[in-house]
Amino acid sequence: MNKRKLFSGGLLTGLLCLTAIAQSQEKIKFKEFTLANGLTVIMHQDKTTPIAAVSVLYHVGSKNENPERTGFAHFFEHLLFEGSENIGRGEFMKKIEGIGGTLNAYTTNDQTYYHEVVPSNYLETALYMESERMMHAKIDSVGVETQREVVKEEKRQRMDNQPYGSILIEVLKRAYQKHPYHWATIGSMEHLNAASLDEFMTFYKTYYVPNNAVLSIAGDIDYDQTEAWVKKYFDEIPKGQGEINRPHITEPKRDQEIRDTVYDNIQLPAVVEAYNLPRKDSPDSYALNMLSTYLAGGKSSLLNKEVVDKQQKAVQVVAMPLDLEDGGLFLFLGIANMGIQADSLEYAIDEQISKLQNQGITDSDFAKLKAQIENMVVNRFSSVAGIAESLAEAKVYYGHADEVNQEMKKYNQVTKADIQRVAKQYLVKNGRVVLHYLPKSTAQHQ
Amino acid sequence: MGLSYGQVDRSKYPEPGPAPEINIGNAETFTLANGLKVFVVENHKLPRVTYSLVLDRSPVYEGEKAGLTSFVGDMLMGGTQRRTKDELDEAIDRIGGSITFGSASASASSLTKYQDKLLTLFSDILLHPSFPQTELDKLKKQAISGLASEKDDPEAISDKVANVVLYGKDHPYGEFATEKTVANVQLTDVKTYYDTYFKPNIGYLAIVGDITKKEAEKLTNQYFGSWTKGDVKKIEWPVPAAPEKTNVVLVNRPTSVQSIVKVTYPLALKYNDPDALAAQVLNNILGGGSTGRLFLNLRERKGYTYGAYSTISPDKIVGNFDANASVRTEVTDSAIYQFLQELKRLDQNTITEEELASAKAVMSGRFGRSLEQPATIARFAINTELQELPQDYYKNYLKHLNEVSVAQLNSLAPKYSKPDNAYIVVVGNTDAFKDKLKPYGDIAYYTNTGEPEVKTAVQDASVTAEGVINNYLKALGGREKLQSVKSLKSVQEAEVQGMKITAALLVDQTKPVAVQTMKMGDQVLSKIIIHKDKATMEMKGQQKEAPAEMFQALKQTLTIFPELYYAANGAKVALDGIGKVNEEDAYKIIVTQPDGTKVVNYYSVSSGLKLKSTSTSIGEVEFGAYKDYNGVKLPIGSTINSPNMPVPLKMTVVEQEINPTLSVSDFE
Repeated sequence: MNKRKLFSGGLLTGLLCLTAIAQSQEKIKFKEFTLANGLTVIMHQDKTTPIAAVSVLYHVGSKNENPERTGFAHFFEHLLFEGSENIGRGEFMKKIEGIGGTLNAYTTNDQTYYHEVVPSNYLETALYMESERMMHAKIDSVGVETQREVVKEEKRQRMDNQPYGSILIEVLKRAYQKHPYHWATIGSMEHLNAASLDEFMTFYKTYYVPNNAVLSIAGDIDYDQTEAWVKKYFDEIPKGQGEINRPHITEPKRDQEIRDTVYDNIQLPAVVEAYNLPRKDSPDSYALNMLSTYLAGGKSSLLNKEVVDKQQKAVQVVAMPLDLEDGGLFLFLGIANMGIQADSLEYAIDEQISKLQNQGITDSDFAKLKAQIENMVVNRFSSVAGIAESLAEAKVYYGHADEVNQEMKKYNQVTKADIQRVAKQYLVKNGRVVLHYLPKSTAQHQ
Repeated sequence: MGLSYGQVDRSKYPEPGPAPEINIGNAETFTLANGLKVFVVENHKLPRVTYSLVLDRSPVYEGEKAGLTSFVGDMLMGGTQRRTKDELDEAIDRIGGSITFGSASASASSLTKYQDKLLTLFSDILLHPSFPQTELDKLKKQAISGLASEKDDPEAISDKVANVVLYGKDHPYGEFATEKTVANVQLTDVKTYYDTYFKPNIGYLAIVGDITKKEAEKLTNQYFGSWTKGDVKKIEWPVPAAPEKTNVVLVNRPTSVQSIVKVTYPLALKYNDPDALAAQVLNNILGGGSTGRLFLNLRERKGYTYGAYSTISPDKIVGNFDANASVRTEVTDSAIYQFLQELKRLDQNTITEEELASAKAVMSGRFGRSLEQPATIARFAINTELQELPQDYYKNYLKHLNEVSVAQLNSLAPKYSKPDNAYIVVVGNTDAFKDKLKPYGDIAYYTNTGEPEVKTAVQDASVTAEGVINNYLKALGGREKLQSVKSLKSVQEAEVQGMKITAALLVDQTKPVAVQTMKMGDQVLSKIIIHKDKATMEMKGQQKEAPAEMFQALKQTLTIFPELYYAANGAKVALDGIGKVNEEDAYKIIVTQPDGTKVVNYYSVSSGLKLKSTSTSIGEVEFGAYKDYNGVKLPIGSTINSPNMPVPLKMTVVEQEINPTLSVSDFE
């Protein structure tokens, strides 16, 4: 199996996971209960296919890290595949594959997420394995040393060696001066090198505890039997004792633009613009998601039509809304066409944004936008794995899993005027971060 | 349930429940009067519907027009007789749907409530394309940029060269597009292709989602009923055989730090072959994933690579076996050895029951999970027709998979594991390992554009590396004359997509100092000042010191004729046969500096002049014609192919002077 695929702890993937929005109009039915140790369990039954998705969302991401030990949360995503007291080293992957299942994990600024999809007669096996991971994962020097190397390799492949791979790192460190969103999930290799085994143990005991996790199960399951198995394997795991560090830092509002140049191994210059977003659970989030689709979703979106097709200043413009728990970023990335300067591309993007702020959007564009959002909402729930993930995230970030059934309603409440209003309110030049990515080779010709 | 558990036994895995019954839904089917065969898979879970069309045509040999079929899909999407491309894009987004076309396939999807609109657009594209010339011009331009970047993409090179050696350039599976063949493609070719192959009677349309058979019948008649049928000829293509003995095929890419190693051979294996399923089990054991032998050996035990895998691909004409990995340059030969060892071992009755059980679990799990997506059922229905499978093939898939035995695999192994009849294709820094590959078979060289490279040994024993370099210096004007060149000014221009780039270089060897200025139009992009110990870059008014590795490359500009100082600097030179540079015979000289950095230069056999220079830091530079400047010859043009640039840069000298009058301010 490709490890790159497996450990999608890298930035962009995590980011995309977070930006997936919306839910189907069809109601997602679910059952929920909480164990005495604080573990929240959500179950969704869908017997169409004899498979079951099992996932555990740990509410720990890079923002919970000690600023002197960045990269811990993501490192754990690797470490916790090493095995447990009862599961041998390397057996986690082997067992799941050997029963005909598949598994994956990723880390973001806010959470670490593990999931398996197994044939439904192996549901108990998957629950047992997740309980082992939560109860007594194997954290020893062999595992730590091995995974340090793997994480370094991952950083080389996904960030250092990837064109534009450092965007999030570069943006975050400028956009957040106080809040721990300042560093990216990959963190610092020096910090990981310096960390002792004790520190890793403490992190595990603090964050990998039932009262900091949501277990979600979706697919061909029997509610009663599933609940009984969950109790069998998870009830005996003790509640966490350590204090969970949840930063209560509000990033001060900036009134200055931050502007910089980054030289990278790229062929075409790029422009990155990042604007501050409100908290993930803000009522404006829905309007902002629609704004992002209007600007850069689909072939006929504003920036694609104007900047890519008509003016041919960019080969592509993408919007990447990073909607984080404590307030994320509205990110644009424009990659310049051959021979186009970054300045010129930036001007073209800004021109469209200010046109939108001044004139708003037309009725017909608004109708188009609603159709695109609706399509996105419906497609989100095409797999039991997707449903398990949505339910867990809704529970953690909105306080109730039923939020998945509210989203279409909330999108429908957004008006045309709201789109213009949020564009004016959030896409402000004062306080944004602008980065120009330039090829190293502009200096190295001949 | 209220069950209570005592001590939970955590020492072993729980017993699984009884294996669930896997139900494979049925596809309903009907055929339109024009011959279009339709499959309907009803699934009302989500309010959406997908239409997928496949045309069952024989592979097409494109020859002088190679690249044509890659344009057909985008040309269809380029506009219809009623709608421009902009109007189409807009209308598709307006319903939040998606439509794509290929040369023998198409797909359209949307929410159910928009499906009338979706089908209006889909059938308009399918039945009334306008094929605008502007779209073809744009696509050809993009294709040529794509070919340029492929020249430096090791994976693309590896695939291209593997296909050439497997099937031959005169086979549809072996041919590939070049700048020349792309330029040959005309609008009439696209139209002729469309008129020949877009016929309903060779089409299979799968409709999946929130729809009933009755609705599907009504809608397909309404939107595709007027599509007119026509004869489409079947073409028989030869079935290439595996080579009689194993061959090594090398493509030199001096900038590589990894080698892409591929062991491949053609296989006469169709999807409906009785062996097909067992062959997949066999492959799974060898290289199917993280439990495959290749992965365990090359990655887990040896640490040569991030991953090593193999595939067996059946095909209606000719299938293939392919095992590959990207490995560190230094272990290229060891990795090849392990690949071949694993192929040999597969054929030595080594397969265990445990391996078989694990492969079956992986395959049946994948099969079971795939059924979650209703599109899978449609794919099964279409494959059954296209590949002429037994009607109950997918219904019995798991049963047949379960029946595969170790004995059966052992008896199949000799047929599918062919370490002695393979092509070993390696793309990498071949100078580092080519001598170690001789034991594996005869070596042939290919270029990064997929052409065989002609290279001959030097027959004349009196030719030495030192002699070639002396000849070169003589051809330029002689040592003495060249030593009198203390400074140089050279201004060159290139055009990149309509924009003019100017590069000016000033060198004063006596200081030594050099200045390199890059301009686009009138705007200065960068200015670099190079000294003996460091280089300063100025970009957009910001100054900074060049990083060490860049400085190593820049430092070379301080020496106008590096060949003059090879001996004095302790550089080692070695003659490595005669190669060709643009049809011209050239001596290949490998220069190794005392710090280990390598440059490979090619000097013309006839004129003695330098034709090409390649190195890891700069890439590849080809020199054009030379001109005399006061008794010293200098090139007046060059083509630079650097890993840092998306397309090759063709530079032309506009001004060049030796020992010009320079002032101090020139170097500030």
